[in-house]
Amino acid sequence: MAEGTEVSAKEKGVDWLLVLEKYALILAWIALIVVFAFVAPSSFLQWPTFSSIIFGSQAVLVVLTLGLIIPLTAGDFDVSVAAVLTFSAMILAVLNAKMGLPLWQAVLACLAMGLIVGFLNAFFIIFFRIHSLIVTLGTASVIQGLILWISSSQTLSGVSPGLIDWVIVNRLFDIPLAFYYAMALGVIIWYVFEFTPIGRRLLFVGRGREVARLSGISVVRVRGVALVASSVIATLAGIINVGTTGGADPLSGLTFLLPAFAAAFLGATSIVPGRFNPLGSIIAVFFLVTGITGLNFLGVDTFVQNMFNGAALILAVSLSQLVRGRKEQGLT
Amino acid sequence: MKRVYAKTTAAAVGAVAAVAVTALLSGAQAQGLDAARQMIEEHRAKPVFSAPGPAFDAKSCAAGKRVLTIPVSSANPFTKNIALAMIEAGNEAGVEVTEWENQAQPSQWVQGINFAINEGFDLIDLLGGVDPSVIVPQIQAATGAGIVVKTSHFYDLTQTPHESVDGAVPLSFYKVGQILANWAISQTDGKANVVIIGSDEIVPTAPFVQGIRDTLQANCPDCKEVAYINAPVPEWATKIQPSVQSALLANPDVNYLIPIYDSMSQFVVPAVRVAGKTGQVNIATFNGTPFVIDLIQQGQVEMDVGESLGWIARGILDSHMRTLCGLAEPAELNVPFYIFDSSNANDAGTPADYDRGYGDVHVSGFRTLWGLE
Repeated sequence: MAEGTEVSAKEKGVDWLLVLEKYALILAWIALIVVFAFVAPSSFLQWPTFSSIIFGSQAVLVVLTLGLIIPLTAGDFDVSVAAVLTFSAMILAVLNAKMGLPLWQAVLACLAMGLIVGFLNAFFIIFFRIHSLIVTLGTASVIQGLILWISSSQTLSGVSPGLIDWVIVNRLFDIPLAFYYAMALGVIIWYVFEFTPIGRRLLFVGRGREVARLSGISVVRVRGVALVASSVIATLAGIINVGTTGGADPLSGLTFLLPAFAAAFLGATSIVPGRFNPLGSIIAVFFLVTGITGLNFLGVDTFVQNMFNGAALILAVSLSQLVRGRKEQGLT
Repeated sequence: MKRVYAKTTAAAVGAVAAVAVTALLSGAQAQGLDAARQMIEEHRAKPVFSAPGPAFDAKSCAAGKRVLTIPVSSANPFTKNIALAMIEAGNEAGVEVTEWENQAQPSQWVQGINFAINEGFDLIDLLGGVDPSVIVPQIQAATGAGIVVKTSHFYDLTQTPHESVDGAVPLSFYKVGQILANWAISQTDGKANVVIIGSDEIVPTAPFVQGIRDTLQANCPDCKEVAYINAPVPEWATKIQPSVQSALLANPDVNYLIPIYDSMSQFVVPAVRVAGKTGQVNIATFNGTPFVIDLIQQGQVEMDVGESLGWIARGILDSHMRTLCGLAEPAELNVPFYIFDSSNANDAGTPADYDRGYGDVHVSGFRTLWGLE
């Protein structure tokens, strides 16, 4: 029967609707660029618009989103990533700017914190069999308290200029280096997802834990690795955030959480529809920031940005669902 | 011949008119520039103490009174340190000041008011951002129980306090707007092209921004507000940087950025850097937050209008004690605005600290005013 279905699909040839779905977000992105290029050619259609705004200022969000899609693929939510990002930024600022520790030591401390938080998340989720949403919500709250404690609720500035130089001051093709770090991470995750056994196992675990377990996959290990990876990558996002702003504050990093989830879900409608995938996520971030930048250039009120973000997400996911015949979808 | 004569006359009249208009305009421009520079010089001088009202014997009329201060957030060092300084000043004057610890949750403010009602406090101080309109029933319960409820460091002088409160200790945010605009005018010799960054949901933002706009219009015919960016507080991290970058790229003639609350600078500074405008665009702001004074020391922010927290605390307590003593309250909070720039940023310490660099004339000034010295 399965063979028969395959044959009939082959007979039908390419399913253009699915191909369209795969690249719809890219097409929408290009369409957006074309529209803004016509409406505001003198300001929008310049290389600095793309180099410094669209590509150059979203590395933190891209990195955080890339980290987030790993546990999402394995079927777990990690809502502590933004808190880890902020904690990492604050640890770096406290150790480097306030206590005068060399940058590399401060960075190592951040990464160690990411590892510990990831292990703790994994331990409580897997050992106690508590839903990941509950555990990571709790972890995020504890971390927020720690951030306020170590920072005395203050914004800290004055981190080593070397970090700022290597994040946003030094450029290649006029694009800050942070962009290339994010792209490099995207390529690594794409390679792991597509071409390594752990990538395949992540997907199997996410699609059906019991089936994966019965197939001999160590579900515990796969989920644990995914949670540790998201925490460690969130610390990298925090380090890039400090390199971007030159300091750290106890609250603002937390606001990256919802945009990161939005980009992850929007990205899952593209390139490999139905799966969280790094390329789709990256395109989703750039699509959203292009829309917002264009609206900024047109002088549209900033509240429209929120409406654009939300509407784009709902529309993209709805269209994707239409293409798939409105099949019931789980959150992950 | 007649025609030629008429044409010549018309041309001459036109030329004279043009010269007159130009002279008038340049006269107005020079006058505006002078006014701008004068205001800036006033606020560069070390603050001097001027009494907010007649002296009174605080020990005899306010002694034993109890004040509960509810800061907008105890996690916010600005309001937290004001609350601590109020407690210290209250101890000197014989007034018991208690802080209601909270983390900016209206539900916690409600708890604080209920605590004040249960404990029989005499006055509740809603400090630095607690909006009375979100806790009206509780304020009514407190006033019904005979407790005076006042806001402090929240409304602008031009704003009417919410009807539920008994009074307010307002601050002239409008005047801060004037200082910031005059700074941009004087630093550019009357050629400021500014982008203002505000948060419209914060109650005094509107008069603050109006102060900037009115001053640009009054003192600088050649200046212009290129753009206004509204970034709500929870979205500062995600909205300010891209919006400022877009504004800078879309308007290459911008030479001043005015983030009206200085903690925004954290996101404005990288926007300038990423847009490749370092050295071409300056940042002027308000609050005197230590990390922003650090940024002045590092050359990334040009100026910050600060207020001494100890001074604010004593100014608020002075107003509250006058209320409790049945005396007339001052019309506005007694606190001077002081400009920090590269010439005096080091006075605030390295790294900068809250309440440093303003001098301490207010301490003895208020003690004398309250009859303690």
